[in-house]
Amino acid sequence: MGTTNILIAGVGGQGLVLSTRIISYAAFKEGFDIKSGDVIGLSQRGGTVWGSVRFGKEVHSPIIPNGEADILLGLEELESLRWLHLMRKNAHIIINKQNIFPNRVLIEKEEYPKDIVADLKSKGFQVDSVDAREIARTAGNVKTENIVLLGRLSKLLPIKYETWIETIKENVPAKTVDINIIAFNKSRE
Amino acid sequence: MGNTELMTGNEAVSRGFWENGGIFAASYPGSPTVEILESMKKYSEIEARWAPNEKVALEMSIGASMAGGRTMVSMKHVGINIAADPFMTFTQIRTKGGFVLVIGDDPGLNSSQNEQDSRFWGKFANIPVLEPSNPQEIKDYTKLALNLSEEFGTPVLLKLTTTLCHGRAPVQLGERTEAVVEGFVEDQGRFCMLPPYANKQQYFMQERIQKLREYNNSTSINALTEKADADTLIITSGVSYQYLLETQPNASILKLAMVYPLPIEKIQELSSKYKKIIVVEELMPFIEEILKANGIKAEGKRFFPFTGELTTEIIRKGLYEAGILEEKPVINEKNIQIPPRTPMLCAGCPHRPVFHILKKAKAVVMGDIGCYSLGILEPFEVLKTNISMGASLGMVQGVASTLRKAGKSEPLVAMIGDGTFFHSGMTGMVELSKTKDNITVIVMDNRTTAMTGGQFTPTTGEYLEGKGDHTISIKGILEAFGIKDITVLDQFKYKETKETMLAAMKREGLSIIITTRPCALNFKIKEPYFYVDQEICISCRSCIGVNCPPISMKQYEGKDKKNSYINPDMCVGCSVCSQVCPVGAIKRSQKEEA
Ligand SMILES: Cc1ncc(C[n+]2csc(CCOP(=O)(O)OP(=O)(O)O)c2C)c(N)n1
Ligand code: SF4
Ligand code: SF4
Ligand code: SF4
Repeated sequence: MGTTNILIAGVGGQGLVLSTRIISYAAFKEGFDIKSGDVIGLSQRGGTVWGSVRFGKEVHSPIIPNGEADILLGLEELESLRWLHLMRKNAHIIINKQNIFPNRVLIEKEEYPKDIVADLKSKGFQVDSVDAREIARTAGNVKTENIVLLGRLSKLLPIKYETWIETIKENVPAKTVDINIIAFNKSRE
Repeated sequence: MGNTELMTGNEAVSRGFWENGGIFAASYPGSPTVEILESMKKYSEIEARWAPNEKVALEMSIGASMAGGRTMVSMKHVGINIAADPFMTFTQIRTKGGFVLVIGDDPGLNSSQNEQDSRFWGKFANIPVLEPSNPQEIKDYTKLALNLSEEFGTPVLLKLTTTLCHGRAPVQLGERTEAVVEGFVEDQGRFCMLPPYANKQQYFMQERIQKLREYNNSTSINALTEKADADTLIITSGVSYQYLLETQPNASILKLAMVYPLPIEKIQELSSKYKKIIVVEELMPFIEEILKANGIKAEGKRFFPFTGELTTEIIRKGLYEAGILEEKPVINEKNIQIPPRTPMLCAGCPHRPVFHILKKAKAVVMGDIGCYSLGILEPFEVLKTNISMGASLGMVQGVASTLRKAGKSEPLVAMIGDGTFFHSGMTGMVELSKTKDNITVIVMDNRTTAMTGGQFTPTTGEYLEGKGDHTISIKGILEAFGIKDITVLDQFKYKETKETMLAAMKREGLSIIITTRPCALNFKIKEPYFYVDQEICISCRSCIGVNCPPISMKQYEGKDKKNSYINPDMCVGCSVCSQVCPVGAIKRSQKEEA
């Protein structure tokens, strides 16, 4: 098989680094060659952040080349719009129903874009819009929001369910393992 | 997989150091190298120390190496500027315990104030520079660096970049091999850099670099991939190599591991077989210029940018323009129609009320480096300068002196954090302690180096009441400098803070304000949230001016004007917005929601 390219987009503070790590480890445990990257630093303070995971038989660059991303995992709606130039035609977009206003929207100098999901669909992407926070809440803890999104992602990837569970166990705080697994399962239903 | 582990570049550095007998590591935090020292802490054989600045980190490491230990010092690219003084003299010495200097460059300025290309230190300081291209190589080159250091008696620069430091990939693990520590053996001729000892070391360095060049000509660490019937040779190094592989060019590739001193003779010999020599390197034309100076017809920056990170598509485009790729690459344009998302101070950030007050006061503020640098951005736009850590203090005196001489004096403010104060602000304070100009220095003591992830500062212990390290009082230091006008305050008492600040700015001479609220993020501060009572809110937008991420204007049903809204999931209850609301519409909720 070729390389699978996943782009994760979000806002600093949303826990993107952990999501990127879990996807990377799951692919690694499944026996793939993998490279991942992320931008951390100044943007951690509520700015634009992104991560990339690329896995397959042999992967060189940790950064996804323009137009080659297969899946976008958008932790926030506006941030999902920012990286379309990296996406393949008809790529999958898993998008969290979550709007975090950027500074210029808060100070009323710009408007938060409307109808993002419809816009993405009209561009030909295969969009899965997920109310991850709500699913996390019904699963028992809103903090499992990102794991809910990983649950959706897991259905698109050639990585076994058991591998995901093992990886989640190893990467979330010990006290929260059970609740995270409940959230993961719930989002796969 | 067995002995393979997924690692970031930073973790691979630490692992390589540990496996190869490392015993002492020092650093000062800065993106992208922070996690090197942080991941070093799990290896009990290594003493890993955060220093108050890069100069002290380097000096401790010099000592460790002179005592015979295998040593590493790591920092972000600008860190070496402040450590350059000891470094440029240390490099003259025949190194004892293996010494690796790890520098993380930040092409594209993801989290930095400049974009300097650290490979130049190799030439400047007469030391070899290694440039790995993935985490496995990072680990391997760490070993190589320690060995070369001891074999040739030289510090070795391991040059990384943001993408390399943060990127993850599988790395083969090995066991630790202990290195013998001989101890400090007195040898003034070796360790005292004064004439005549230092004069003779100029020749030593010259010979050392010559020997390294011979080594580099003969070593197999530089990888040549020859393509039959290709008429182009591409010379590259570092992460650019990985991008280059993605483009699958019809060319032979020479991937350099050691970019200084270059294996000139080897490249000369190789280049005679090719029509075109193309250099693919990030930032400055470092390799290109040396090749050109040695008569090799290489081209690079004609086709590739001199600023920013390279990417696969930038390389594709350059190779197309150079006539190496035949197909014109199709590059999707970025979507720029959507609002940008610049970083913001966190909800409950202790810096926020101070900016709010300074903005209203229209103060002229010299800024410094830390989370408070975000006061440069909208809507505060309070800080008028930003140069380097600690610079605000010297600069403010320079501005004051010049304005006074020109008969244009006005009140001035400088702002500095606790981390930066201890890093390089104290000497500036010594100078300011005798000023007669109207200068107010605000020390934002949030008890941590917040911007780089919350490392301790010498005031963390005071806040944690003895649970942290030993503590140093900033007020005590300033008093010892003979400064009298010092106010320590809680900036979440908005009105008092405002009065104190305005009064201080009116007083001639130096006045100091030390704010003491801790960083909300790193100390995980969360109090019951605040909410807007829409029946009271008059839509004046004063709270919007506080610029806290949870606060926005919202169209409530049945109202014609928008009213303020606070997102309860995001608010951490610092109360600042409620104190600027003129009608008391912002109220504290009873208890924190889960
Ligand atoms: C010479 C140098 N070393 C390291 C850094 C990385 N860096 C950016 S901000 C900062 C320190 C901030 O600490 P502090 O002054 O306490 O401000 P805070 O972020 O806590 O508000 C550091 C170390 C740098 N910019 N320059
Ligand atoms: S990390 Fe701390 S100091 Fe920095 S913006 Fe957040 S709360 Fe403020
Ligand atoms: S009380 Fe107001 S200023 Fe403080 S965190 Fe909440 S919304 Fe922000
Ligand atoms: S400051 Fe008070 S009155 Fe003004 S918009 Fe905000 S909540 Fe409403």
